[in-house]
Amino acid sequence: MAWVSTTYAARSIGRNVRRTALTVAGIGIGCALALFMESLNRGRDELFARMGAFSGAGHVRVVPAGWQARRDPRLRLADWRVAVAAAGALPAVDAVTVRARAQVLLAMGTHVVPVEMVGVDPVTEPRTYQFVRTVHEGRYLAPGEPGTVVIGRGVAARLGATLDDEILATSVGRDGRIESRMLRIVGIVHAGSEDLDGSLCQVLIDDVAALTGLEGAGEVTVILREWRTADAVRDVLAARVGRGDEVLTWVQVNPEFKGHLDQDTATSRFVTGIILLVVLLGVASAELAAVLERRREFAVLSALGMSGGAMVRLVLQEALALGVAGAAAGFAIGAPVIVWFARHGLDFRAYMGPSYAFQGVLIEPIIYGDLGPWMVPYVLAVAIGATLVASLYPAWFAARSDPAVALRVAQ
Amino acid sequence: MTADIVVARGLTKVFDASRNPVRALRGVDLRVGEGEFVALVGPSGSGKTTFLNLVGALDTPTSGELTVLGRTVATMTRRERAALRLGSLGFVFQAYNLVPVLTARENVEFVLELQGVGAQRRARATEVLTELGLLDLADRRPPELSGGQQQRVAVARAIASRPRLVLADEPTANLDGENAETLMHLMRDLRDRHGMTFIFSTHDPRVVAHAVRVVTLVDGRVAHDQEKPGEAPHEILPGIGRMAGA
Repeated sequence: MAWVSTTYAARSIGRNVRRTALTVAGIGIGCALALFMESLNRGRDELFARMGAFSGAGHVRVVPAGWQARRDPRLRLADWRVAVAAAGALPAVDAVTVRARAQVLLAMGTHVVPVEMVGVDPVTEPRTYQFVRTVHEGRYLAPGEPGTVVIGRGVAARLGATLDDEILATSVGRDGRIESRMLRIVGIVHAGSEDLDGSLCQVLIDDVAALTGLEGAGEVTVILREWRTADAVRDVLAARVGRGDEVLTWVQVNPEFKGHLDQDTATSRFVTGIILLVVLLGVASAELAAVLERRREFAVLSALGMSGGAMVRLVLQEALALGVAGAAAGFAIGAPVIVWFARHGLDFRAYMGPSYAFQGVLIEPIIYGDLGPWMVPYVLAVAIGATLVASLYPAWFAARSDPAVALRVAQ
Repeated sequence: MTADIVVARGLTKVFDASRNPVRALRGVDLRVGEGEFVALVGPSGSGKTTFLNLVGALDTPTSGELTVLGRTVATMTRRERAALRLGSLGFVFQAYNLVPVLTARENVEFVLELQGVGAQRRARATEVLTELGLLDLADRRPPELSGGQQQRVAVARAIASRPRLVLADEPTANLDGENAETLMHLMRDLRDRHGMTFIFSTHDPRVVAHAVRVVTLVDGRVAHDQEKPGEAPHEILPGIGRMAGA
């Protein structure tokens, strides 16, 4: 074990205390910023995944084969009961519901509104779809109560309808004939988004079957206890659902939404990258200055027979010590900030209003930072990685110092 | 007969200062046998340090031939020269050049560590420091030592791995007379006991007095090469070759 080299490296960073302190502070601030950005990224990922899941997509969804390409609401599962049973048996699953969709025209008097009607199980639906948990006017659907409907406030306004009004739902039946059915409004939902309020329409799943002539369910939506397990659950569930059905994650169900999320992440990482680049250049400058100051010393080491590789290792050992100190500083600076944002959140209401919807997903405008054990390895990796990369050129410079020239200059 | 440890034939070194090249060595012919105690003297700019740099494989000659411990310096790679320095040569510098953040013991240990000495490193360093009367100072760092003490530590570092050839560039230049005397006695004693070859440059006549052989360089050439009568290394050091090779 190279104890003396390690001692040498460790003591060397204490030679110029002021420079070392400034370098460590620079690394620390950079790491704290990176940690903060990553915390918000993770918080936003979690928020978006949750909002996406509870806006109807679920974390995992069982769909009929071919649905992903066609997105045809008339497609029905081969065996939705098998899918529900398989999903319900998994410990990672928190809630399961079934749905059947149909394109319909709602009409009242002279007003007509096209919507995607969603047939649901009124017992399990509120656990998977957040907007029907609180119905602002009236109530939610109840089992064994056919011919009832819950609509969004925007739909009601466009129809000029109020509670207990009867509206006409018209759709294309299985054999191509136009089918109609009267529905009584039992609840009006205020989702908080014009898009959602202007399209929300839920009935019992049997009403969709009666209207379209298509029996069964078009999807089984699954909510997980931990959204990050979606891929694993999909793989397990895929082997257990009926033939002709397939399993998708929320990312596959809503790729545009995921694309939006990825774009945000990429932007955030780009900013983090710029922060780290500035830190890296600062560290490189300080390290190079330290190497230049010790040019004679490195020349002596070279004269004593120290190889270039050993000299690189020596400088990188010093960088490692700086990196660890910088990581500690970064954690000390960043952790309290992250704790605050994890509790109070970063509030975008001033820019986005109380909420905004994207791809049918209502997004809360407050992002809470993610707090977790990941922070320790993250800050260590960022600090040490950046410091080591920054020290490569100074290390190479030290390794290339010509002992004869350096000694001549010194003397 | 002892083997020649350094052989220089027509050795030249030109420092290319673009428009005004400096000819530091202009054809040096010199042989140094194993176990010799050689002083290089001459005025400033005569080429003493340049010659030591070449013999120490710190630099390569412009022309001529130079073999050190049987290796031709000019054809060696940078890595090979570093390996030669680490394994077979010891250096003592005018300005001591100890690592300031390491203790005396650690300075000695460091070279042994570079050589790959493992568990015995500390014991070997302690042994050398004891031999040079530095054990009490082993845990002090260079800034806590006097110039003479630092130079003795530098000698300890140079000889810790029992190199066959020790090169010293003006080793007493920064020392007072008493410390210079002590150092020269020490080096001479090490040569006598371990059979190491010493080549050192100096301006100091008191130091020259300790030399067995005095080589005078003037303008990059050997002007005089004088061996003191009765002190030829082969005569006073029987069995040196065996000890050094042991």
